Amino acid sequence: MKRRTVLAVVALGFASSLTAPAARAGALKIRAPAPDFTLPAASDGKAVALKDLLAKSKAVTVVFVATKCPVSNAYNTRMEALGKEYAAKGIPLVGINSNKTEPAAEVREHAEKHGLTFPVLKDDGNRIADAYGATHTPEVFVLDPKGNLLYHGRIDENQDDPQGVKSPDLRNALDAVLAGKPVPVAETKAFGCSIKRV
Amino acid sequence: MALAGPAASEPVKLVKPEQYRARVVAAKKGRVVLVNFWATWCDPCREEMPALVSAAKAFSSKDVAVALVSTDSLKKTADVQRFLSSGRIPFVCWQAKSPDPQRFIDAVDKSWNGAVPYTLVYDRKGELVARLAGPQTEKSFGDAVRKALAP
Repeated sequence: MKRRTVLAVVALGFASSLTAPAARAGALKIRAPAPDFTLPAASDGKAVALKDLLAKSKAVTVVFVATKCPVSNAYNTRMEALGKEYAAKGIPLVGINSNKTEPAAEVREHAEKHGLTFPVLKDDGNRIADAYGATHTPEVFVLDPKGNLLYHGRIDENQDDPQGVKSPDLRNALDAVLAGKPVPVAETKAFGCSIKRV
Repeated sequence: MALAGPAASEPVKLVKPEQYRARVVAAKKGRVVLVNFWATWCDPCREEMPALVSAAKAFSSKDVAVALVSTDSLKKTADVQRFLSSGRIPFVCWQAKSPDPQRFIDAVDKSWNGAVPYTLVYDRKGELVARLAGPQTEKSFGDAVRKALAP
């Protein structure tokens, strides 16, 4: 139905007014290879390379995060817990901050204040957010050891209440990866803060 | 006699995914409808609100209706109301009510990724004619509405 609507609009000559959201164009497809990256950790400036993480892991969880976004902050404790739990099982979690409004020093202070022990990398110029088509915080990409995308979307559906979560989508994806099974729901959406791009 | 100020903001109303089309869009049939999705926690959403208010002033309410849809948590309805009242935002505001945000996002627009601010423009027949992702200006809001009004 919607497809027909769009086609009808194009036929009427309004095509130029129908601007697809920027995120759609660049968003990675499930099973597609994700771009490699090497970014400095906000904590000490040391370079962290995705390919090094992939080489020694069963999968890698990449989460685009923010310091000021209340939605991202609502997940700090959950990200830390998931990071610790699954790193022990071979799936480390790495955060990327691509917001131009949040410099490395702020990212470092934020991680210290909230007890985030997983590395948070600083993506100056939002190049990696662009390469991944990431638009939100928090927004998750789970990659297999070859760097192919296994899961993309939210952590879960309930930002308000960690105890009330009914759809732990990231956890479900990671458990499936560990069990050698296909990810049950490979793509999800959630309300989130836009990444503040350059 | 002193002129009355802008009308006080109407109470925020809840809208479920399955009600969006009928209550937010179709109820304004015959007019171009601009729907702005926002949240009190979203800085660019709050920042673009004055531009939306200014843009709307250029059009007759007979031709154009503006509706807001807050994606705030239902625990934050009072904050939504406070923002609208203190900013004297003269638009009807709905608040998304869905235990799973994805159901709401997909009911609104399957190609929307859920990032706010996000604005949709529907023509007089209720057909979606423009998607404005990210923060807008008075001009970009106005241009989208003018295109939707064009015969």
